[in-house]
Amino acid sequence: MLGCRLDRALSRVLGVFKWLALPIGLLLFLQWPLREYVHAYSREANDLGQWMFALYVAASVTSATRAGTHLATDAFARRYRPSTRRLLTRICNLVALAPWALAIVIASTPLIVRSLAQLERFPETGNPGYFVIKLAVWVLAVGMLAGIILDFCGARGGDRQ
Amino acid sequence: MPALGLVLLALVGMTLLLTGLPAYAVLIFAAVLGAGIGVVSGTIPMALLGTVSTRLFNLFESDLLQALPLYVLMGALLNRLTVAPAVVRTLLGLLPRRPGTPVVAGLGLGALLAPMSGSVGASVLALARAVEPSLRAAGLPTPMRHASIAVASTLGVVIPPSLVLILLGDAMLSAHTFAVNATGRMDRVINTQDVLRAAMIPAALFLLLSLAVGWYSANRRGGGALEMANYARPKWTDVLLTLATVAFLVLLLGGVATGYIFAVEGAAAGAVLLMAVGLLTRQVKASMLGDMLTESMATTGALFAPLLAATTFTLVLRLLGTDKLIEHWVAALPGGDLAATGAVLGAIFIAAFVLDAFEIIFVAVPILIPSLLIRVPDAAWVSSLVLLTLQASFLLPPVGYALIMTRGVLGAHVPPLTFAKALLPFLLAQALVLMLTLCYPRLVHVLEPADAQSRGPSAPLRQEEIEDRLQRMLPNLAAPGIPPIDVPPLPPDLTPK
Repeated sequence: MLGCRLDRALSRVLGVFKWLALPIGLLLFLQWPLREYVHAYSREANDLGQWMFALYVAASVTSATRAGTHLATDAFARRYRPSTRRLLTRICNLVALAPWALAIVIASTPLIVRSLAQLERFPETGNPGYFVIKLAVWVLAVGMLAGIILDFCGARGGDRQ
Repeated sequence: MPALGLVLLALVGMTLLLTGLPAYAVLIFAAVLGAGIGVVSGTIPMALLGTVSTRLFNLFESDLLQALPLYVLMGALLNRLTVAPAVVRTLLGLLPRRPGTPVVAGLGLGALLAPMSGSVGASVLALARAVEPSLRAAGLPTPMRHASIAVASTLGVVIPPSLVLILLGDAMLSAHTFAVNATGRMDRVINTQDVLRAAMIPAALFLLLSLAVGWYSANRRGGGALEMANYARPKWTDVLLTLATVAFLVLLLGGVATGYIFAVEGAAAGAVLLMAVGLLTRQVKASMLGDMLTESMATTGALFAPLLAATTFTLVLRLLGTDKLIEHWVAALPGGDLAATGAVLGAIFIAAFVLDAFEIIFVAVPILIPSLLIRVPDAAWVSSLVLLTLQASFLLPPVGYALIMTRGVLGAHVPPLTFAKALLPFLLAQALVLMLTLCYPRLVHVLEPADAQSRGPSAPLRQEEIEDRLQRMLPNLAAPGIPPIDVPPLPPDLTPK
């Protein structure tokens, strides 16, 4: 039950984040004419694109896990039974990915909280939104942990984003 | 504990091969294991492991990495637009009716589109869809079809402005900065534009040789004239689309190589243009957009995850002192620059049997290349050789990454020896270009602007100068738990007279 709810929530979040690809492309394209011809707002476009990029790639790792697109060399493993491969994945989740994601959450929290409290701005331009880049590390780690929990609940939702 | 890092590297290779787990998960597994042993044994202070989150912040604010989702989006759009089939039809219509024609068309398409797609795997998928039917219709034997698609899929590794090149440019910048700081040389630090320019001549040579080899081999094996009835004649829209694609890529390549536009802006321009074409011609409909973006995001995650993992893994290797050990070994290699370069390229070649280009750039390059650049000052030359080595290793039977991907996507079983025979002419072409680049470093400097040539790499420093400069850098590097820098002696042939 909890697994299903978490699965739906994760799907919705990823379903929203995937649309960021369009403004990222547009903003990063626009920074060239803005710099060369308008001579203004190029840095603003870059900064805006930057924090959107951070959120997008942070969420994309969980998206890849759910879609099963991670790069792997399965020259030998393709002969294994599906249950064996599932077991290997769960062991790896338990002994490597979950501790790593937890360590990231713990290590980054003080920095992120400080950045959020100050609504930190981009150091070079003073534009707002730099704190979102730091927040993206949380998005990454929490997304990975949610994916691992779903895997253990047996409710991994595939690509229903 | 430096040797533990080497054990972890071997463990990564074995675990990747034997478990089939995603590369990023295996790298994180090795990093967690190494960090655990390091902390328990007192080699790694716990506090230093916290710096991994700072490294992740740096990744998220990297300007260059913004190109990654844009290239992936371009790849997804190309798969939905009729560009690839139109280019193939045009090339088939323009070339003589011979069995070698589809091979040349396939390599041509690979040269045009592979630099835009995300990875070797993505290129195999696109080429299998657009070119394989033509190769089959030409009556080419299965091994030749597999070989053509495998070779075409790796062109994106060497032909600019591919994602591989851009990411290598970033990794080379870091490695070269480290080497220049360590030695105190006055070299200009290499950038992405330098890497792109350096790769152009070797890439063009390889493409020309591959086209010649493909044409000759297919005509020799394929038999008589090609049955053009098997093909739809190119329409004027196909020709127009092909010309527009070529023109766009030439402009993009020129703009990026001359520094007029940044690589990220070039990628963004490509994505926006393809999206506009798709929407205007209704080849991309609003109903398809959601699925396409889901696919793009999942592919982006697949490419970004190894980068995150490699960032953690290389941090652990540095904390264990493995980078210093490798530096020591590279510095102590006998036989001059050529032998040292050859040895490092050999290590990358072996790593490429289990790692994709991106993983090698994120894991092997930061560990091996700084040490090499301390000894060999020509960073542009080294970057081109790394690219050519990567490409060669993807095609080496029986476990080259492109070969495994091609077998997986095309399905039909080809005995390894038969596949190897079909690949042999291409492998010889590759070896020739690699040897030419290795023996004639000037090849990679032909397209450099005059001012860059005049600021070429300076002569190596004396051993005591290196030691002195490294020790002066120490106050900045000093941190609890970081061992002092041990400067290996220079080999006799490198010691300035």
